[in-house]
Amino acid sequence: MARPVPHWLDDAQQARYAQFKEFVSANVEPFAEDWEREQTLSKASLSQLAASGWLGATLPVEYGGKGWDVVTFGLLNEAFGKGSPSLTSVLTVQAMHAMALARWGTREQKSKWLPRLASGELIAAFALTEPGAGSALHTLTTSYSRPAGSDSLRLNGVKRWITCAQIADVFLVFGKLDGQPIACIVPRDSPGLSVEPIRELMGFRAAGLGTITFRDVEVPPAHVVGKPGFGFSHVAPVGLHYGRISTACHALGMLRGCVEESVSYAARRKIGEQTVGEFGMIRTLIARMATDLQAATLLCLNACRSEDEHAADAFEDAFVAKYFASRAAVSAASDAVQIKGAAGVHASSPTSRYYCSSKITEIIEGTTQIHEDQLGRMILGRSGPPPKPKGGA
Amino acid sequence: MNTKNTGGSGDVKETLRHFVTRSINFPDLGDDDDLFESGLVNSLFAIQLMTFIEKTFGVEVDADDLDIKNFRSIDAAADFVLKKNLAATTS
Repeated sequence: MARPVPHWLDDAQQARYAQFKEFVSANVEPFAEDWEREQTLSKASLSQLAASGWLGATLPVEYGGKGWDVVTFGLLNEAFGKGSPSLTSVLTVQAMHAMALARWGTREQKSKWLPRLASGELIAAFALTEPGAGSALHTLTTSYSRPAGSDSLRLNGVKRWITCAQIADVFLVFGKLDGQPIACIVPRDSPGLSVEPIRELMGFRAAGLGTITFRDVEVPPAHVVGKPGFGFSHVAPVGLHYGRISTACHALGMLRGCVEESVSYAARRKIGEQTVGEFGMIRTLIARMATDLQAATLLCLNACRSEDEHAADAFEDAFVAKYFASRAAVSAASDAVQIKGAAGVHASSPTSRYYCSSKITEIIEGTTQIHEDQLGRMILGRSGPPPKPKGGA
Repeated sequence: MNTKNTGGSGDVKETLRHFVTRSINFPDLGDDDDLFESGLVNSLFAIQLMTFIEKTFGVEVDADDLDIKNFRSIDAAADFVLKKNLAATTS
């Protein structure tokens, strides 16, 4: 079996992690296949998640949250990640929206919205990606305008691939006002807002992705988060940072699932007189994924701890963790299916779910290639500019 | 949030300079050079700098402080830290 999490977790973190795993084992894993097949989460699952209070895991207690540290948030996402990619995505986007608001919202905004997000009364989504723009934020075309004689803004544009769009009650919508990046809270029931479901995904099939269209949606000035001009440089990075931490730990949970499934199967299943695990090539696959699991565990918890310490390096650490854990999960899922053979490819097998959904963790919150580009820039940036050419020919 | 350095202008500037040059390793960078027009910083630098300021100097950057003038250069960021610390001690 996979090794336990590092010994330096404190007693409360260990106890909560055990509680998360127990909850997932009883209330998530038995239903995950149904949710993926039906492409929707059950209302009961969302109600249970809301009742747990875990949608407000990292929100301050004064706003109805648990006030937990980010390490505990990471453990929560890891435990859910093993159970259901789609239900984990609710944790992800709720945190992205809520933590951006907790960081940059006014006192009034926080008092109005955060308790309802923490309790799960409202499900949130993070509306950033567009049909023609993703990681290149400057190319977003969603626009806010201020009609003459009005205090309110008018929102027009289309957002695509928005996780939880189908079930969200409120969106954090990024766009530009007079060319300046801006983020605003937009309730789902705003006139002019419509959601079209995106179905038939290879994984995350119950995550409720959708395309959101805004046609002259009125946005009160009290719904602007932060200041115009700082939507991309300060508001979005907070949400994306929590999204990366969540996704990294989600991938870690799938990676643990792959190791546990593979080890259990290889120790039990016989081919002739030998167990599958007695074949050297199978032991090689298991050694690789188990080593990746340990490495990914340390990277993910390091990213969480950096954020708990409010370190400037926390952003880079989250990039590293998400980059490594998502690729390791994809590799492990492929090997886990290979080890189980036909038993691993049916939808009823967790390895099939890991195979289909792990790849998506390499895409959301920045693709692997975007991570390589960003990390490469960070690392190379420290080496300074190229040397100036010396004088003469 | 830790408060590790609440010293005078010189200390604050030196600490900021160390962080900036560690991040972009450009030893010739002047204290009044525009960090964001230099082309040397990555897209996360703005929020990394803000996080460093909060943790290192024990100041809280809130939405009202979101003004590029506060973070444009080492000089600007040092002035911002001193102003925030002064406001905190007089309030």
